Amino acid sequence: MTSPSFAGDQDKVGEPQFDQKHNDITNVSSVGGRGEPDRGEEPRSLSHAMLTYDILIVGSGGAGLYAALESRLEEDLHVAVLTKVYPTRSHTGAAQGGVNAALGNRDPTDTWEQHWFDTIKGSDYLADQDAAELMCREAPEVVRELEHWGAPFYRTEDGRIAQRPFGGASKPRACYAADKVGHIMLHTLYEQGLRHGVDYFNEWVTLNLIHDGQRCMGVTAYSIRTGRLHTIQAKAVILATGGHGRIYWRRTSNAYGNTGDGSAIAYRAGLPLKDMEFVQFHPTGLRRSGILVTEGARGEGGHLLNVLGERFMARYAPDKMELGPRDLVARAIETEVREGHGGPDDELFLDLTHLGKDQIIERLPQIRQLCINFEGVDPVEEPIPIKPTVHYSMGGVHTDINGCTPIEGVYAAGETACVSVHGANRLGGNSLLDILVFGRRAGRHAVGYARRIKLGPMPQGAYDEAERCLEELMEGDGKETVAGIRSDLGQIMATKAGIYRHAAGLEEALGDLEHLKDRYRRMTIKDRSPVFNTEMLAALELRNMLTLAEVLTLGALARTESRGAHFREDFPQRDDEGWLKHTVARLGSDGRPALSFTPVAVSRFAPEARTY
Amino acid sequence: MAPVKITPKRESLLANIRVQRFTSGKDRSPYFDNFKLEVETGMTVLAALRKIKDEQDGSLTFRAFCRSAICGSCTVRVNGRSVLACSTQLLPILKDFRKGSVTIAPMANLPVLRDLVVDIDPVIDKLAKMHPYLIESPERVPEALERESLMSRDELNAFDYMTDCILCGSCYSACSSVAADPSYAGPLTIAKAYRFSIDVRDSFRGIRDQAAIDQGLWSCVQCRKCIKVCPKDTRPADTIRRTRKLTIDDGIRDTPGSRRAKAYVADIKRFGQVNKPMLPVVVFGTKGWEAIEVAEAALTKQGLEPTRRVCKLPGQEGVEGIFGRVRAIEDEEEQGR
Repeated sequence: MTSPSFAGDQDKVGEPQFDQKHNDITNVSSVGGRGEPDRGEEPRSLSHAMLTYDILIVGSGGAGLYAALESRLEEDLHVAVLTKVYPTRSHTGAAQGGVNAALGNRDPTDTWEQHWFDTIKGSDYLADQDAAELMCREAPEVVRELEHWGAPFYRTEDGRIAQRPFGGASKPRACYAADKVGHIMLHTLYEQGLRHGVDYFNEWVTLNLIHDGQRCMGVTAYSIRTGRLHTIQAKAVILATGGHGRIYWRRTSNAYGNTGDGSAIAYRAGLPLKDMEFVQFHPTGLRRSGILVTEGARGEGGHLLNVLGERFMARYAPDKMELGPRDLVARAIETEVREGHGGPDDELFLDLTHLGKDQIIERLPQIRQLCINFEGVDPVEEPIPIKPTVHYSMGGVHTDINGCTPIEGVYAAGETACVSVHGANRLGGNSLLDILVFGRRAGRHAVGYARRIKLGPMPQGAYDEAERCLEELMEGDGKETVAGIRSDLGQIMATKAGIYRHAAGLEEALGDLEHLKDRYRRMTIKDRSPVFNTEMLAALELRNMLTLAEVLTLGALARTESRGAHFREDFPQRDDEGWLKHTVARLGSDGRPALSFTPVAVSRFAPEARTY
Repeated sequence: MAPVKITPKRESLLANIRVQRFTSGKDRSPYFDNFKLEVETGMTVLAALRKIKDEQDGSLTFRAFCRSAICGSCTVRVNGRSVLACSTQLLPILKDFRKGSVTIAPMANLPVLRDLVVDIDPVIDKLAKMHPYLIESPERVPEALERESLMSRDELNAFDYMTDCILCGSCYSACSSVAADPSYAGPLTIAKAYRFSIDVRDSFRGIRDQAAIDQGLWSCVQCRKCIKVCPKDTRPADTIRRTRKLTIDDGIRDTPGSRRAKAYVADIKRFGQVNKPMLPVVVFGTKGWEAIEVAEAALTKQGLEPTRRVCKLPGQEGVEGIFGRVRAIEDEEEQGR
C-alpha cells in the first residue's frame, strides 16, 4: 500500500515546476482575499482558487500576533494569520509569571546589561551573546509598546508598570499582571490586530511551505471546519507555531496542540533546525495532566516527599532543599522514582499539609484551587502528587536576529525559532520577551521584503502533494491508531530522551522511533467525516512530532556533554572545549537528519560555572 | 519526625457517559451515545472525553487545548450546566447524583458543527462590532516608546477583573436573553466593551456605548445566569448594569431600555408599584398607545373594565427605606472597586 509522506520522502528543495493554470487563477483572485472563501459545495477543482496575501503568519500566539500587527500597522499590506485554534486560545495565554524588561521601576539600579548577563548565565553560555544583547536592549521598548496598546500590566504606587523578582534574575524585572501575564498580552495583541485589519483564518492547519528552494511562495493549508485543502500564495510566511513539548505527550505542561508544526514544516522544506536536544523540564507538574504547580508552593515551605514520606532533597541539595534550581530538583525526583521510591503511578509528592489549612488558604489559594480542579486533590488534606513535566523547547528553526531563514521570505519567531537567546536553558520571564522582540523583528523585516518584491508564479504539485498526504491517511485498513502511536512516542521520549540521557538509551530510542514511523505508515484514520475531523488533525500533528523526535534524539546523542537542560549520565560535565557550539540539523538526502555545528557568538561574557 | 509512608486516596467508579452526537450535513438531529468508562480520582470531564476518543471512538469530536482553564476552548454543558471540561472533576458529579451517569452536551445558543463543537463565530462577530480594543487617548498615551502610559492602581482596578475573561462563551451559552433573541450581543461582548470604555487611556467610549446599545445592551433581563457559570468569576451581568449606567452618564439617556428602567424607579418611588398600564407609552412613545388600545379592546371584549390608572400602595415610608439602602449599597460598590 501507499505510505503517507514523511520528512524526506517528498517535498525536497529545488526543481520547481510552474503551472500556467494556477497563474491565471492567481491573477483573478489576488485581491488580498479577506476571510475564508465561501463554504458552498463546489467541485474540488475550483477550490484551487487561490487566496493571496503579502504576509502570512502561521500560528497565533504572541510571536505570530505581534508579527501580524507589526506588518499591518501602516495598513498597506494584506496580512493574515493562519491558526489551528482561535487566536486567544494560543498557548501564550498560559504563561503566568512575567515578562522581563529592565525598566527599573522597582529597582532603579537595574540595567539591560544585567539582564543580558542573567540570560547568558541562565543559558549555560550556549545563547548567542549578540542576539541576547539585542533582546535585552529592546525589552523595555516592546513592553511599553504593548502597554500603549492597552495591556493591563499591574502598576506601581506611582502608576508605572509593576515588576517582581524571578528565579535566576539578579533584579526584580519581570513585568506582571497577577498570574495572567501571557493571557493579557495575547488578548491585547489580538484586539489590536482586529483594530488594524489583520485577517484571521481560525481553525486552519498549515501542511507545507511552498517554495522553490530560494524563495517563499506560500503554504498549503487545510480548514478543519470544512475539511477542504487550499493553497495560499504569499510573499512572506512567518512560522510562529510555538514549541514541541507534546513530543513527550502525557509528560508535559504544554497544550494539546504544541506539536512543533512550524519547526517540522520548516524542516521538511529543507530548513535547518538548531539545538533541538534542549528541552526544559519543570520539576512539579500534576500527576495526571502535567499542569504546573508553580515554585510558589515550595517557596511557602512545601516539602517534596517520596512515597516513604522522606524529604529526599536532603540527599541532593542539603542546603537549598526544595528550593534548588529546577533542573537539579527534576533530576532528584527522577532518581527517586528510578530507585523505586515513587507512588503507585511513579509519582512523588509535594506536601503542604504541615502548613495548616489557614496558611494554605491565605497564602496559596490559587494553587489549592488548581489541585482541586485538575487533580481532584485538596492540598489541605493530602500531599499533591507530582511528576516532572516538559515545559519549554529551547530549540527550533535556525534563524538570524530578524527571524530570517535560508529561504528568502520564510521567517520563524518565538518558541518555534532558535535565534538563539535561551541556549541550553531558558531563564524564567524570557519566553514572553522572546516572542515580543522577535515577533516584532520578523514582522518588520517581512514588511520591507514584501514591499520590495512581487508575487511570483506558483509551482505545480504542492496542492496535489498535500492532497495525496491527506488521502493516504484515509486509505487502508491499518490497525494502528493515532492515539496508540502517540502514547508510545511520549513514553519512549520520556524514558529514553528525558531528564536523564545516555548513549545506549538514545540509540534505543532512535530504533524505537523508526518502528513508530513504520506503524504510522500503516495507520488509518477511522473518522471519515470532512467536518471537524480531529482525528485527521491529530494524525498530521503526530507526523510532525515523529519528525522532530528523531532530530531531538539524534542531537541529544551527538552532544556528549551535560549543559543546561541536557543531562548525559555518561558525560555529566559541561565541556566548553568541545561543545560551546550549536547543533544544526537538516533533512539529509537519505531522509535522515544530517547534523552540523556552528559556533556560539561570545562577545562579552566568558563562560563560567553556572551556580546559583 | 519519622517519615510516614504515603498512601494516596484514590477510587474509581464504572460510569455511563452520555454524549450528544451530531454531524452537520449528515445527521438530521442530535442523538446520544453512551460510553462505559472507569472514572478515577482526579479525572476531569475533558480527561474522560479524551480517554473515550483514544480508546473507544476516535470520531468523538470536541475542542480542547490548554487543559488549564485559560484558553476557553472546551466549554460544554455537563448535566445542563455550562462548564470548562478541563477544570471540572467528574467523580464528584457522578457521586453527587448517585446515578453513575452524566450527560455531556454542546454549548447552547450556538449552532452545532459536530458533536460537542459549536460554531463560535457568531460570538466573535458580535464581539468585533463592539470595537474591543484600546484606541489611545493622546492625553494619556505618549507618542514615543521611551515613556510608559501612566495609570493608577485605582484606574486599573476599575476594569482589571474583566481582563480575566477568556472568551470561553459559558455566559453566552447560559444567557436567557440570547435564547430569546439571537441578535442580542450576549454577556461577554458587552462586558468586553465596558473594559475598554472605562480604561482611562482610551478615547473611543461614546462609539462603544452606541455599539453596545445597538447590539441590545438593554435586552439583558438580569437573570444572572452568566454570573453563576463564569469560570473566571467576572460577573458579566453586574458589568452590564455598569455599562447601562455608563451610557446614561454619557448622555445616551433616551433608549427604550433606559426609559423603562427610569419609569420603574420613578413609579415605585411614587406609587410603590410599577404603573404597568402606561408602561408601553413610556417605553415606545406613540407606538405604545396602539398597544394599549389593543390591550384595552381585548379586556373590554372579556367584559372587564380597563383602567389607565394605578393606585398608590400603602407603606410608602418602607419604600423610601429601600431606596436609601440601595443608594448605600451602590456607594459601597463604587468605593469597593
